Amino acid sequence: MLRKISLWAMSALIAFGSLNFELQDSPGDKLLGVWEPSNGRARVKIDRIGNKYYGRIVWLIEPNDPETGLPKTDKNNPEASLKNVPLKGYRMLKDFVYNEDGTWSEGTIYDPLSGSTYNCVIKMKDKNTLDIRGYIGVQALGRTDVWKRLSVQPAKK
Amino acid sequence: MRKHLFKTLGILAVSAFMTWGCSSSVTTHDYSVNDLNFELVGPLFEGPNQGQYALEIDLATALGDAYEEGMTVTDAHLKGATVLAGDSLGFSQVRSFVLSFASDNSEVAMQEAAFKNPLPEGATEVALDVAPDAELGAIVAEGKLYLVLDADLAEDFYDGNRNFKLNLSLELTVKS
Repeated sequence: MLRKISLWAMSALIAFGSLNFELQDSPGDKLLGVWEPSNGRARVKIDRIGNKYYGRIVWLIEPNDPETGLPKTDKNNPEASLKNVPLKGYRMLKDFVYNEDGTWSEGTIYDPLSGSTYNCVIKMKDKNTLDIRGYIGVQALGRTDVWKRLSVQPAKK
Repeated sequence: MRKHLFKTLGILAVSAFMTWGCSSSVTTHDYSVNDLNFELVGPLFEGPNQGQYALEIDLATALGDAYEEGMTVTDAHLKGATVLAGDSLGFSQVRSFVLSFASDNSEVAMQEAAFKNPLPEGATEVALDVAPDAELGAIVAEGKLYLVLDADLAEDFYDGNRNFKLNLSLELTVKS
């Protein structure tokens, strides 16, 4: 009986160990969360898909188009077929890969106001502050915006 | 003499190019996959919430008898994508869907491929509007890709998860 229990405990331990290993976070996951750009006009939630990081607009200070009264769409998208995609939910940060030097690069940032996409690199200054640098060609020719982490709690029912 | 040599070399080059061109053929094939389950894990908040599905496309299985050793995907386009309810809640409180394709390859960017905004009232299934310019070849060629379904919810939803199913149809351009 004792031997059976020991075997069961051993199996459970091994199973838990492998499960734990599978669920282990990637070091780049410290980027996950909800962030606010310096202008405070939007909030962006960063998720991981596969081994890359993506940021969706989850809140807009002005969610509706003042001209139509309807939720804003990505009307400045250069691709005509995507102009009716809702802006809330749009992935403005795409395809970031975590590097050993603590940055996330290889990604792009989309500016919905102009419909332009820029190369981008993300640096974490501290756990609640990001430097988001958008650039064309070389990083020296770019602009950095500071984003702050938001602590998101579910609203009370 | 020199002019004659260049002419001969030119003819040889054109012949070699034509032989190479004829030896590799390009064909298109339809590929469909159904009932892909997307689970949006709660708590879910008012606004966009994502579900993802890791899809592996094995070309030999996908093409069946048409498959030949060494075939590779050179281009892919979405032909159709239909979202179906995956639980009893159906499309309740869902305002829109966006479907995107992504890959682990750092050289390959995510592509939005289809969307529906707003959803038709009372729909039991939703055929997404396909973005015809979305070039999915580089993503599909990876073999393993991520399908991402964003559902824009009209209200917070704390009581569990939401599930949707996706039927997908692609046109693959394949080179042998």
